[in-house]
Amino acid sequence: MSKECECPGAKMQDFGKEEVKGAEEGKRASQLRQWPVQLHLVSPEAPYFQKADVLLSADCVAYSAGDFHKEYMKGKTIAIACPKLDEGQETYIEKITSLIDDAKINTLTVMTMEVPCCGVLVSIAQKGLQAAKRKIPVKSIVIGIRGGNVLSEEWIS
Amino acid sequence: MQAYLNAPIKEVISKFPKVADILNGYEIGCVPCSVGTCLLKDVVAIHNIGEENKAQLMYEVEKAIYPDREVKRPVINKAAKAKPEILRYSPPLRMLVNEHLLIKRLLNCVPAIVKALKEDTVIDKEPVIGAVDFIRMYADKFHHAKEEDILFKYFDEKADIIQAMLNDHVEGRSHVKEVLNGLKDNKIDAVSQHLSAYAELLTGHIKKEDEILYPWMDKNLTVKQVGELFDKFNAVDNGLQRGVEETYKGRIEDLEAKFIQK
Ligand SMILES: [Fe+2]
Ligand SMILES: [Fe+2]
Repeated sequence: MSKECECPGAKMQDFGKEEVKGAEEGKRASQLRQWPVQLHLVSPEAPYFQKADVLLSADCVAYSAGDFHKEYMKGKTIAIACPKLDEGQETYIEKITSLIDDAKINTLTVMTMEVPCCGVLVSIAQKGLQAAKRKIPVKSIVIGIRGGNVLSEEWIS
Repeated sequence: MQAYLNAPIKEVISKFPKVADILNGYEIGCVPCSVGTCLLKDVVAIHNIGEENKAQLMYEVEKAIYPDREVKRPVINKAAKAKPEILRYSPPLRMLVNEHLLIKRLLNCVPAIVKALKEDTVIDKEPVIGAVDFIRMYADKFHHAKEEDILFKYFDEKADIIQAMLNDHVEGRSHVKEVLNGLKDNKIDAVSQHLSAYAELLTGHIKKEDEILYPWMDKNLTVKQVGELFDKFNAVDNGLQRGVEETYKGRIEDLEAKFIQK
């Protein structure tokens, strides 16, 4: 990708060195309860997926949302993917369907960045749900690239 | 001000009647509430009127209570005020809102059913029996049971807002009982009166749930709880109550064909 790339997902932006606000004291424990985490690598048969509340996060989200572990990963089983660069996205759809029908997950929360191409992850989740026999609540949370704030949070099915 | 924020809404209104007008202005329907023990601060917090409206409302209330006090007027962002918050329910609460739609179609038939009772020379009890069957089997056994046996259990059932909803359910059941008694004893006036009262009660009740109770619940339910509720509601729909939705949809269509689309 060249410097002049106009894709908002790849456009260069410098956030400067503004002082970061927020409490920095203390150490927080990791909320990760499983391995692996990449959507191609995880198996819907894994015990930690059974009846779980699953977080499907775009790769970049964890680097953007300051309190990703505490606010979003806590209590959830996670899978990560990049809808822009990853190959084999048909497999992703099948895996979502299997999580819903076979692992009988309780809910699915999809976290994406605000850039348009990231929205594909939401449609992967929706296609997976449509192909499933069970229906579950699916939530979409969109994170802003600057500051990592929640731009929108809504139930999409 | 703090003392009034922690006072029951009925008490505040009886001391400062102007507060009733202010609440009405924001379409907060607590003024005629049957319970009225919700605290002023909760009444403001629970209604889905948006942060800016909330600030403006609090300003007006404080001014009404202390007319001589210097109260800082909140800065209102015009653009924000112009767009009211759109209600987007979680999937389980959306199921209940959709059930309300069918109940509202029945309520919409009630005035015509009552009119026929009053005007027809030969009284036909069938539509009333049909309406009562819908109310008992669909509105009560199917819908209110989901609320009472499942949804409300996720909250403090002693909370005033839940108590107010439960009171409405009980009052509705007593109207239905009176309708049936009237049918049995051939007291058609009593039938009309209680059927109309039921329709009025439920219209307000559904509005309160759609606009106040459910949005407040959605704000407080965790993702995990939303999933559980959805699963439990689906278990009801696909279990003992399978087919209820379809059956009663058909009944409503019949009633509408007779009373609405003339
Ligand atoms: Fe209700
Ligand atoms: Fe209801």
